[in-house]
Formats: sequence, C-alpha cells, structure tokens
Amino acid sequence: MKTLSRMLLGAVALAGTLGMAAMPANADGERFVLVSHAPDSDSWWNTIKNAINIAGEQMGVTVEYRNPPTGDLADMARIVEQATASNPDGIIVTIADFDVLSGPVNGAVDKGIPVITINSGTKEQSEKLHALLHVGQPEYDAGFGAGKRAKEAGVTKFLCVNHYITNPASVERCQGYADALGVELGNQMIDSGQDPAEIKNKVSAYLRANPETNGILTLGPTSAHPTIAAVQEGGLVGSMHFGTFDLSGEIAEAIKGDVIAFAIDQQPYLQGYLPVVFLTNYARYGVIPASHVNSGPGFVTKSNIAQVEKLAGEIR
Amino acid sequence: MTTPLIELRDIEKHFGSVIALAGVSLSVLPGECHCLLGDNGAGKSTFIKTMSGVHMPTHGEILVEGRKTVFDSPRDAMEAGIATVYQDLAMIPLMSVTRNFWMGREPQKRVGPFKFIDFDKANSVTMEEMAKMGIHLREPAQAVGTLSGGERQTVAISRAVYFGAKVLILDEPTSALGVRQTSNVLATIAKVREKGIGVVFITHNVRHAMAVGDRFTVLNRGKTLGTALRGEITAEELQDMMAGGRELADLAEVLGGTV
Amino acid sequence: MSVEADRNPESSPQQAARDERVREISPVRKALIRPELGAICGTILVFVFFLAVARDSGMFSADGALNWTVVSAQFAVLAVGACLLMIAGEFDLSVGSMIGFSGIVIAITSVTWGWPVWAGILTAFALALALGWLNGYLVIRTGLPSFIVTLAFLYILRGLTIFASIATTRKTIIGGVREAAEGDWLAPLFGGKILNGLFVTLADWGWIGKLRNGNPVVDGIPMLVVWALVLIVAGHLLLTRTRFGNWIFASGGDAQAARYVGVPVNRVKIAMFMLTAFCATVFATCQVIEFGSAAADRGLLKEFEAIISVVIGGALLTGGYGSVIGAALGALIFGVVQQGLFFAGVESSLFRVFLGVILLMAVILNTYIRRMITGER
Repeated sequence: MKTLSRMLLGAVALAGTLGMAAMPANADGERFVLVSHAPDSDSWWNTIKNAINIAGEQMGVTVEYRNPPTGDLADMARIVEQATASNPDGIIVTIADFDVLSGPVNGAVDKGIPVITINSGTKEQSEKLHALLHVGQPEYDAGFGAGKRAKEAGVTKFLCVNHYITNPASVERCQGYADALGVELGNQMIDSGQDPAEIKNKVSAYLRANPETNGILTLGPTSAHPTIAAVQEGGLVGSMHFGTFDLSGEIAEAIKGDVIAFAIDQQPYLQGYLPVVFLTNYARYGVIPASHVNSGPGFVTKSNIAQVEKLAGEIR
Repeated sequence: MTTPLIELRDIEKHFGSVIALAGVSLSVLPGECHCLLGDNGAGKSTFIKTMSGVHMPTHGEILVEGRKTVFDSPRDAMEAGIATVYQDLAMIPLMSVTRNFWMGREPQKRVGPFKFIDFDKANSVTMEEMAKMGIHLREPAQAVGTLSGGERQTVAISRAVYFGAKVLILDEPTSALGVRQTSNVLATIAKVREKGIGVVFITHNVRHAMAVGDRFTVLNRGKTLGTALRGEITAEELQDMMAGGRELADLAEVLGGTV
Repeated sequence: MSVEADRNPESSPQQAARDERVREISPVRKALIRPELGAICGTILVFVFFLAVARDSGMFSADGALNWTVVSAQFAVLAVGACLLMIAGEFDLSVGSMIGFSGIVIAITSVTWGWPVWAGILTAFALALALGWLNGYLVIRTGLPSFIVTLAFLYILRGLTIFASIATTRKTIIGGVREAAEGDWLAPLFGGKILNGLFVTLADWGWIGKLRNGNPVVDGIPMLVVWALVLIVAGHLLLTRTRFGNWIFASGGDAQAARYVGVPVNRVKIAMFMLTAFCATVFATCQVIEFGSAAADRGLLKEFEAIISVVIGGALLTGGYGSVIGAALGALIFGVVQQGLFFAGVESSLFRVFLGVILLMAVILNTYIRRMITGER
C-alpha cells in the first residue's frame, strides 16, 4: 500500500510540473488557433509555424498551432470543435475535406468566431463555410501551370509522385499537370507512401519499368527528396524534366545542380502570416481585405534561386 | 464381485513407429484408490490420455461399468463420469475460485430476457464443497492464484466430484507439493474414496502410493507388470519394479548397495 | 478480471471457519483493490489537473465538455471490443483499417451506387462481421499469433479501401453521404442526436450558452455517445455476469485448461473478433453519417489508441484479466488528456509525452494491483 501512495504522490507532483509549463504565455493579447490537416511527420508545415510565431510576436498576439497527429481528418474536425469551445478570437483552418469540416467550421462561425481558411481547399468552399476569406494556392491551376512548363520542355510521359494520396488536393495537382500535357493521368500517379526509402524504391522501380518516362512531378519535399536521389542514382540528370511543388534546402540545391527544373512555391509563409495579421486587425479595428488572397503559385528556377535559397525551409 | 467402474484391457497405443503402450490392463472398482506407478517415460501420460478420451487406443478395449465403450473425445469420457485432474490442474490462476469451480457449467438464472450466472448459488456451493474437503476459503471471489498448490489441487478435485465424477484420474497430484500440502491432498483422496468414487492415482512416489492405495499397478516401458493388492507387496518391491528391478539391482552392486 | 466484478455477487453468507493462515484484509482495502483502481485514480488525477490549469479555458463549458466527451466516446466504442478481445487472449490490429473500410463501403454503396443508406450500413456491418470472423478463423486455424494475422489485415484492408475508392470514384474521399442519408430510417441511429429539447430548455434558462442564431451551443447528445454507453454497459454485464463472460476470461486465462472443462474456446475467440469488427463499424458509421464523407485514411492508428485505453484500464496484455469499466475509464482519460492539453495551451507535440507518461504510470500501478488480487509473483 505504501508503494501505491508513493506512486500517486509522484503522479501528482509530475502533473503539477507539467501544469506550470502549460500556462499560456501571453494572456493579454488576442488568441488565435491555426488548425492544419498535416500529420506530425510533415516537415513542410514548419514554415507556417515560423510564420505564425513571427506574426504573433509582431502583432502581440498568441497563435496556437494544432494538427491531427496521424493526419486523420475526422480527428481534425474534433480539433476545430475544440478550438471553438475554447473561445479564441479567431480560427485559421485548412479545408482538407469540405464535408468533414463544414459542420465544425460552421459551428465556429455560428458562435461568432471569425474564420480564415488557408492552404488547401477552394475559394468557393471557403465562401460556403462563411469564412472571411481564403489564403491559398488553387491546386488544379498550380498543377496546370507546372504541366504547361513541362510541355514546353517536351514532356510526353510523366510520373506524379503522390505522398499524400488521401488528400484530394494532391490528386488535383497531378490531374492539372496531366491536363496541361494533354494526356490521361491513368497510372502515371503513384501512391508513394511517406517513408523516404520506400518512396525512392518505388520511384526507381517505376522509372525502370517505364523507361520512356521523361517528366516527373513531386508534390512536396517529402516525395521530392527521395526522388532526387532516385534520379541521380538512375543517371537521369539532364534527360529527365523534374518539377516539384514546394521548396526546401535540398530542393534548392537540386535546382542549382540542374536536377530540378523548377519548384512551385505557394509561399506558405504568407498563408501563416497574413491570416494572423488580418485577424488581429479585424479584432482590433474591424478591417479586413474584401477578396481572397492567392499566395501562389510562384515558380522558383535557377534564375531566382539565390534569393530564395537563403531562407528555404524557414521562411520559404 | 462388483463390476469395475472402468476397465481397460490390453491397451496398445502406437504413434507412428513408436510404441508408447504395448498392452496395458487396469480396472477401477467403486471406492478404491488404484495407484498407477511408473518412472518418467513409462507411458503414464499416454495411458491417462487414452483413459480420458484424448487418444484413441490403437488396440484393446475400454469397458465402462461392464459395457464396451469407445471415447471419441474428452467430452465423451467426461459424460461417462471419467474426470481427470491434470498435473497443471486446468485451473486458471487469474480467475476466482468460484469462476474456476463452475467453468464450463455455470449455473444460470433468468433476469428478463437475459440469463446471468447465479452467483448466490455458485458461491455457496463452492464454499460448501471446499469446506467438505477441509479448505475454508476467505471468500469465493478470491483468485485461485492466491491459493497454495495443495489448495488448488483440492479445488480441482472437489470440482470433479461435485459434477458427478465416478472415476477420478489424478495425474501426479503430489509431485510439486511440500510435505504438509501432500498430506492434505492424500487426505482429500481418502475423503473422495469414501464417497464410493474410484480414484486412479498416478505417481512415481512409492511412499505416497502406499499411504492411500488399495491396489497398485506398475507401468514400465509401456507394459503393466501385473497388479498387486495392498498388503501383498512392499514399498521396496514396488520401487524395484518401477525402475526395472534388474537394472537397479545391478546399479546397487556398483554403488555398494546404497540405492 | 473477475475478482472485482464478482465482489458483490460473490461475497457469500458463509464465512464459517476461517483458515488461520489467511491474512485478514480490511474492508477499505478490499473495496479499493479492484482492476479498475488504476484507471479510477488516473481519471481523478486527470480531472483535478485540468480543473486546476484549464478551468477558465472553456474546457468545462457545455460545448467544451461535449468535445472531450465525444472524443472519449470514440475511444470507448473501440475500447470495449478491444478489451473483451484482449481478455479472451487476442489482439486485433486491423481495427483502424476496418474503420476506413467500413466507412468507404457505406459511401460507395450509398453515394456512388445510389443504394439507400440503410442498405449501405447493413452491408458494411455484414462485411465487417464476416471479416472479423475470418480474422478469428485464421488465428484459430493457423495457430499463429493474432498479432501477425491481424497485422496482415491491417495492410490488406487499408490497401483494399484505397483501391476500392480510387477504382470507383478516382478519389480517396467520398462526400455526399449526409445528403444521401436524409430521411433514412437507420442513419439517425448513428449520426443523430438525442435530448435536443432538454438543451434548448437549458439554453432558454441561461444555463448553457447560445449561438448567434439562437440555438444552444450544444444541441443534443450525439448517438456516438449513446452507443458508447450502451456498449460499455452491455460489455460489462456480458463479461462479469454471464456464462459467456466466464468463458471469455477462461479462453484468455488458459485456453487449454478451458478446453479441458468443455469451454468452446474457438467459438468464444471468433465471437470476440467479430465484436471488435462490429465496434469498429459502429465507430465508422457514426463518423461517416456525422461528417457526411468517408475517406480511405480514416482510423489510422486507432487500433493502438484502443489498446492503450484498454491497458490504462487495467487489462493484462496476455489476456485473462481486465475490466470493461476500466477500459471505458481508460478511454475517458485518453480523450480528456488529448483534448484537454489544448485547452490548457500546451504545445501539441507534448501530447505524446504526456500520453506515454500516463501509459507507463497506469501499467506500473495496474501490475501492482493485479498482483495483489491474483497472488501472481
């Protein structure tokens, strides 16, 4: 029995310590919550986390970042409900699945909480959710733009490496690319999974099985990094037209080394930074832009890489 | 002469080319304790399993109360009143005494459309039956794991008796017990015998056998070397037969008669 | 295990002659030492903690409380199945994949193929029960650990789910179920809410807040919560009060010993696999009807969340011992911690640290309690 009580005491002490750490740091300024759909393993979201921290500091507000650890969108809906229950001054949310989120987001709007949607989703969906505005990059258009550049470069058969196949937006990127080339998407999109070694092996295997492939599109650093390795090891540098979504340190290197032709930058920093600024001003002075904001697509190529590179992975 | 509760005649059991039993005969009378002795590997386990319906004999016949019978499964044997308490007891230590006692035959009572276990009955019967065997439980909800080895043995025996065993096969019930607990188990065997139940007591400990046995059968290399009545045979003779007399005698010479 | 649950029904009138070697134990200690003790302590601790650090954060307002209640109920629905299966001595790692599978089955049948939603739901349940049976049958037949067999199904079902949704709709998220379910007779049993009138009244009295449109912030108890309560009560009664429950303990405690006394161990285990699949499908159906869409990646890692709830609740990983009430409390702890850390403003990545600490403390405490009950060394 002694052991038992000692254990309980320990537990209480531990809970107390964690409790201290748990106190909100800035209780005076406005409090906003950003809910993303990205699983913990998605490093790309660091840029947005940095953006909300910088915006929070500049504006003197607290911004909390929340995401479903496994990327399960039903869990994400619960997080939005929970954010609503905590009565923040504003919610910033990605529209990963309109059906799932429409209930919870409408709940927040009904409670009188201002909502800005970012990243995935469309302007139309954002309006249906009664959000103030949408900050993002139209996915299909971005994919289409990438496809146009690829077509100019002479791409006829391609591979779209999709590391997040369960997100409809990712399929739209591949679809836009295929449509710009004027070919069927068909099996040219593969479900690569999220593990780097697995992605690399799948890409190598696909390229070996389909040697006539002359274009690659990756949907973000998660799939781009292993694909860079696969292209280099396969001796395809120069002969393979390789485009990717998003930027990172490795992708910048690959652009300089002519492995990657271009990176589509949706400028995620703006997707984190602008909503915080907008919501703060809305909360304090009731002013907000009247239209949606297209944060991308911007294309990063060898010509402008130097400027971008310095901040890759942190801000860009 | 009374009809034996169970009689096995000239049982043989082959596993492929291995002859585990090569002609074993044994009978159990009501209210007797028949001790089956044998060294490790003598075929005791195979024989018990044949008697309790786990194995089908390759050759030979089984008579239950004089009628020729074939056991297709352990269930058949159980229904014929042959209950086996295995060495590992078939007790589940994590479960309560009552739950173990009634396992597989839980008494039920109807509550509306549902049937629940009748715990009032289950508990009082368990306490009563255990008390009859001289074990007073703190409470029937206590886990079997909290009981001593001898007490567990007694739960298993009283369970078999309560559910109408006519023949009780005890597989080495004393092999893992201390002196005190062994004597408790031997006392339990005596009590069971008084109820007119036939007991088959398997052991390799001659002293334990001599303490409660009415008849003794020795199994050696898959064969019986005959059955002796109590008083017809001494402990030393049994010991010799078990170890295969001659070899032991030879060994005794080498060691200077100390075995 | 049994010991707690039977305490009341089993305390016998006969306390006749006592064995002098059995140590007396005080009634307080007796009432305290039950398989759920760890989970009860954990629940109290967790609530004390969050009342201390997050009382004013909205966590204990009506909509805040509903939020963690719903999340806990989600865990509880899965935990009941996982708990009984674990007590019967087996695991099911395919629960998460089964959730995705059942959801997609409902969405494909009702949206893509245009079946009535009730037919889609019944189809999903039928398929899930069949798959649960297959899981159990393979485990029994091959004698392989259920860990491996259901791990295979984790991949098989997830792959089939993604394939089926891509092949029929070219998408991995199928929406439009909510529209299809309108007017359906079965769907409200999973996606509806009860006690709406009560909450409207409470809001009129000013006990709970109102939205801008005049509705109360909480407009009813979701059916998922009702399902969780029904499953918990039914599971508890089944386990502790029925013959079948005794067989569940026996099958997990020592399958061979149970077979010796005529317990149909195979049947019990297969039934528990089917129950687990049933619970996963209840979860999936509630989710699909509530959110109006099914996605191929729903339910990722839910099998572990269910197992964690069960273990926090005091069940033994190797089977034969555990409690449905404990598992339900485990689910409550899990849900409250997961949602509560946010209310308390803790960096979300620390959630796993917290969860790990709780899991470890619970297991240590539970092991200690179990040894006291069962006399294990």
